[in-house]
Amino acid sequence: MTRLLVADDSETVLLMLQRRLEMEGYDVVTATDGIEALERLEEAGADEPDVILLDAMMPNKSGTEVLEELRGAGSKIPVVMISAHLDAQEPDRMRSLGATDIIPKPFEWDDLIGKIEELAGNSGVGGDGA
Amino acid sequence: MRFNPSLTSRLRIGFLVLFALLLLVSLLGVGRLFQVRVNYEDDISRFFQLELESERLRSAFILEQAAVRPPTGQKLPSQAEINRAAANFSDAVSRARDLTGSDVTLTADLNQLVANENAWRQKVAQPLVKGKIPPPGVESRQTKAVTDSGQKLADATRDARDGSRDHARTETRNTTLLVAAGLAGALLAALILFSGLINSMRAPLGRLVEGARRLAGGDLRTRVQVGGPVEIATLGRAFNEMANSLERDARERDRVEQMKDDFVLTVSHELRTPVTVVKGFAEMLTAQRQSLNPRQYEAAEVIAESSAQLQKMINDLLDLARSDAGKLRIEPHPTEVGPLVQRVGRQMRPHFEERDQTLSVSIQKDLPEIEADADRISQVLANLLTNANKYSPEGADVKLAATRVDDEIEFAVADNGPGLGEEELEHVFDRFWRAQSGETQEVGGTGLGLAIAKSLVDLHGGAISADSSEGEGATFRFVLPIAKDGRPTRTEPASRTKAGAPT
Repeated sequence: MTRLLVADDSETVLLMLQRRLEMEGYDVVTATDGIEALERLEEAGADEPDVILLDAMMPNKSGTEVLEELRGAGSKIPVVMISAHLDAQEPDRMRSLGATDIIPKPFEWDDLIGKIEELAGNSGVGGDGA
Repeated sequence: MRFNPSLTSRLRIGFLVLFALLLLVSLLGVGRLFQVRVNYEDDISRFFQLELESERLRSAFILEQAAVRPPTGQKLPSQAEINRAAANFSDAVSRARDLTGSDVTLTADLNQLVANENAWRQKVAQPLVKGKIPPPGVESRQTKAVTDSGQKLADATRDARDGSRDHARTETRNTTLLVAAGLAGALLAALILFSGLINSMRAPLGRLVEGARRLAGGDLRTRVQVGGPVEIATLGRAFNEMANSLERDARERDRVEQMKDDFVLTVSHELRTPVTVVKGFAEMLTAQRQSLNPRQYEAAEVIAESSAQLQKMINDLLDLARSDAGKLRIEPHPTEVGPLVQRVGRQMRPHFEERDQTLSVSIQKDLPEIEADADRISQVLANLLTNANKYSPEGADVKLAATRVDDEIEFAVADNGPGLGEEELEHVFDRFWRAQSGETQEVGGTGLGLAIAKSLVDLHGGAISADSSEGEGATFRFVLPIAKDGRPTRTEPASRTKAGAPT
């Protein structure tokens, strides 16, 4: 089963994402900020997630900072940044930091699932994109 | 404080000074001319009288000469005759003395005459009276001296008369010249005074004109240096007060505008999270149709639809607020036109099918790439298509086309709906504006789609327009510049083509 780590500072958004992703059949671990996300990764150890979804803006430690640390530590896990695009240079910066993909807020559900499937190497499993 | 009289008092003083100068010069000139004339007339009459008197002296001397010789048949001259002639002579001398006045030459000539007369009396008259005949040389010499000095007085008098006339002429001429110079001087003084007045106004007036132009040109910080006559200075102060008030208003307007932008930006942003959650859960529920009863499913579907609509509206508002705040950014990359247009057509097709409308897509062959943010241009096309979809009746034909026009690509969305009137066309890109014609009242939507389309096209350096006539349908067109070969694109061009090329 595809394992996901999802981090978002809004608990309701996080809950919604978790429930829907679980419904799609994913194994979901959640975190409400960057520090927690790094803790969850450490707990997982070798059993690391297949894809990480990070909200770019979070208190304590932002998704961008988490991304930077992960790539700094040599991690190759695909990371999808979810960004509100508040500034035009953000996508370029995140890409240069090693983001695998960027999803602008708000996103269509099918787009998100499509991205996850593509990155998890399960192409064809979702298949409901038009 | 500097003395700064008002314009009217300056003019008044100017005219008064001018008038006084003219009056003074005229009076002095006329008075002088009058004086010269009077002096001349006095002199002339005096010198005529003096000539007359010298004539009398001559005749008195002739009578005296005759009187000192005894008449025929008498031994001695008549003493009475001699006395009368001498009295005549001295009367004439005393009158002449009055007339010579202070004239040195004439007085000297007169004294010489009297001295010669006295010498003649002593050397010629007295011997004759005593019966002695003076030596022949003496009489003729003494007589000639008297006659000569009489003649000299007469000549000098005539010369003095001529001199007086010449003097009067010179004086008259000089006075006339002086008066003319005085009048010219007064006029010159007035000219200098008035040109000074005009100069004192010119600089501050020029500043005011310049200031007014700058203010009209939109530079609200414009202030003028206050100066010049009181009236102009007052005008300058009033101008500055006006500029102050304009600047204050503009600043207040900017502040309110900024507050509004910030408010919309914040509110939209804050609304987005809860709406995302509502929409997400509602979509999740509708995906579990089998575990819901029909009413629950219906409710979930309505919540999903409404929250999707709400989300769209919030995104539109956010886009506009960002656009107003100058924060709406695009990421232009060389983008293929065909795939982009095809993709939007494909995405929008279900909406047209829902209303039994046909959507035909035509794309000119071999179109060059455009320099564009593919997502944003898709959004523009989707907004235009949504517009056509909503405002055209069921069964309508909508055409989406992309063609090359010179160095630009033109995108056109044409419908055969009710069309737009001239007045409506003016407002079609205004935010929250919606066509008000009868049957289209029911159409939903935020009224922001076309406004956003315009903002986005403007950001791309393109131009959007609408043309239509009532009952003939409407066509929305926008043009975008084609990507220039050899122009370096801002970010890695190769890795981004996948956004516009799903094949």
